[in-house]
Amino acid sequence: MKYFSNNKEASVKHNRIKKNLNSILLFLLFAGPVVFIWFSVVIIPFLYGIGITFTDWNGLSINVNFIGVSNYIEVFTDSVFFGAFLKTVLYVIFSVIISNLTGFLLALAVTSGIKGQGLFRTGFFTPNIIGGIILGYIWNFIFSYALTGLGKSLGIDFISTSWLTDPHKALAALIIVTAWQMSGYLMVIYIAGLSSVPKELLEAASIDGASRWAVVKKVKIPLIRNSITICVFLSIIRTFMSFDVNLSLTAGGPYKSTELIAYKIYQTAFTKMDFGVGQAQAIVLFGIVTVISLAQVYFTRKGRE
Amino acid sequence: MKKRMVNIVIILVLISAMLTGCAGKNNNEVTNNSNSSPESVNSNSGNEADEVAAGTDTEEAIEISFYTTETGKDDLFLDLIEHFEETNKNITVEYIAAGDDQLQKWMSLYASNDGPTVALMDPINIFENQERMKAYNTTECPWLDNVYEDSLSAFTYDGQVYGIPGTAAGFGLLYNQRVLDEAVGGTFDPATIKTRSALKELFDKIESTGVAASMFTGVNWSLGAHYLGMVYGGYRGDVTERVSFAESEKNGTADLANDSVFNAYMDTFDLIAEYNYNKEDPLVGNVNIDAEAFATGKVGTWFMGDWAWTYIAGIDGADSEYGILPIPVSDNEDDLFNTVIPTSYAKGYCIDASQNTESQQMAGQKFVEYLCTDAYAQQEMIAACGQALPYKNCTATVESKLGQATASYIEKGLTYDFYGTADLLPSDFWYENGAYMCEYLAGACDRETLANNIASYWKERN
Repeated sequence: MKYFSNNKEASVKHNRIKKNLNSILLFLLFAGPVVFIWFSVVIIPFLYGIGITFTDWNGLSINVNFIGVSNYIEVFTDSVFFGAFLKTVLYVIFSVIISNLTGFLLALAVTSGIKGQGLFRTGFFTPNIIGGIILGYIWNFIFSYALTGLGKSLGIDFISTSWLTDPHKALAALIIVTAWQMSGYLMVIYIAGLSSVPKELLEAASIDGASRWAVVKKVKIPLIRNSITICVFLSIIRTFMSFDVNLSLTAGGPYKSTELIAYKIYQTAFTKMDFGVGQAQAIVLFGIVTVISLAQVYFTRKGRE
Repeated sequence: MKKRMVNIVIILVLISAMLTGCAGKNNNEVTNNSNSSPESVNSNSGNEADEVAAGTDTEEAIEISFYTTETGKDDLFLDLIEHFEETNKNITVEYIAAGDDQLQKWMSLYASNDGPTVALMDPINIFENQERMKAYNTTECPWLDNVYEDSLSAFTYDGQVYGIPGTAAGFGLLYNQRVLDEAVGGTFDPATIKTRSALKELFDKIESTGVAASMFTGVNWSLGAHYLGMVYGGYRGDVTERVSFAESEKNGTADLANDSVFNAYMDTFDLIAEYNYNKEDPLVGNVNIDAEAFATGKVGTWFMGDWAWTYIAGIDGADSEYGILPIPVSDNEDDLFNTVIPTSYAKGYCIDASQNTESQQMAGQKFVEYLCTDAYAQQEMIAACGQALPYKNCTATVESKLGQATASYIEKGLTYDFYGTADLLPSDFWYENGAYMCEYLAGACDRETLANNIASYWKERN
């Protein structure tokens, strides 16, 4: 009897091991490559970056000294960094609002059944697949030469000098280009949301005599709340981290008036060759973006409940 | 619980595998590692190294890399590498073109344990990372005598030479000969401009012909590194005096707003700004468009350097004769600095000793030797860059009119070394102060504010 009992136990144990092995193999097969890549390009560099913030490394030197939290103290007492942060907040607010509004309106337009809407979708999405650097150079030419040429020939003072050489207009130019690039991308997400709105509801609303605006306000917007959350979240993250357009469109100019936070970090690390401070600035930016993004997701969800 | 443990084990195994993969080169291959002192970096005594240095044919194939921060010269360097490899069969040179940001690319290469064997870098970058560099010495590199001694000063630290200068660049007010001939009603002679007032008279004459007199390209590198850089240059005195002034700025004892050298250069800056072709929108700054305006005679003079030949040479309908005028600093005809131009050796070839084996370092030296001494390399370099080379055996002639102008000043002894020493101006000097200079050019601040901003920059570097 005992023999049978032991045999059964061994068999159960064997099955359990086999099951575990299968789980491991399945994990390695499906999640393994992703986990490997995630660790390689996100987690390890992130931890390595945190380590650098406690050193005086210049990005190249062989001798590296541990200097505690000095870099963080420098970041929090740096008025220029704080100024870049405020400019970035201004840029983020306007870019997020304009690009989301534009993206939503474009999505409404191309889902309304107009002729050639497929072509319009492709056209509006195209700016997003042009790299930020290229886009910046194209718009640099437009603002500096095409528009100024037009302004001079038509006698329009507002555009007869380059927007990129005026501190206020340059930030506005940066917002316009960002919104132009991002709205097509957001449009695609809004289209997905709008396509999932049940047709019966829209028909019921129209039978009840609801106006177009009322349908949008009372039916479509409440039902695409998830898309709005995703779009706002993505646009906040992308604009806070904005670098490529900043580099190629204004390069922080005129006289550092459009130096956004990511560009400032880049300059600290690669021009000033103060890698420790630059990395500390990046960690602070990471913290800020995390808090803002989580707060946005939390409040949007709370609003839905 | 067990399942969680299994997952943790798997993750740990993955991390170990990754770290093993990232371990990179065998440290034994490299003469220097992170624990080595700079002294050990610069010493080499291996037999293998001696063989390469002596030029003996070894069967061992050596692969080296060459990173250049010169943009637009890829064809030139690829051609030179091909020529070098023809006569050095066992050496293969991998060419790494300049990135969007020269320092970022350089740092990325080092971060991936792939530091270039030979790199063409700014003196300040070599200075700040000299612990990684191999010092040149006449025992291993007898060809060092072929390089003009003066040109080595910006690459020499503590008596050791860490870089070999590339081309010699002269800068000042470039002029279009045809435009100025028409303005003065004859053949314009640059020697007639000996004072600021004479320059103003010339500007008036140019304007009277309906052509803009002068031009600034409103970009931070031109106004910050080159124009403001002159305030810390030869007019202040010898290298000791220049360093002393920079130190006094750092410790806050200097009074830049009332500094005679600063004001001398800024008075001339105001004069050029007054006659600026880009006056309506001074910061629109596009060097290609400005070059076109200058070359086609829309403007008579342009604050730039002889490297502008790279932009001018291919322009349709460009004039053929150009020259360089010094930036006058006073109204005193006897003031030597009204007649001299600054020349700089803005980039030099350095050799990495921290991530390259001894044999690679020696092969790198051979490559630098080739670039500095070979007649074909010199000829091609001069043709592509349009600038003079600081090598004694160089017989190639400069075709660039601007390069010829610099060479003419050098021949007459009317030049001074712009840098003097590599560590005079920090690596971000051009970016930070270039922004202040742009602000001043745009009329958004007065000279006192400019001086205070520059003073604040220096104090932060203390």
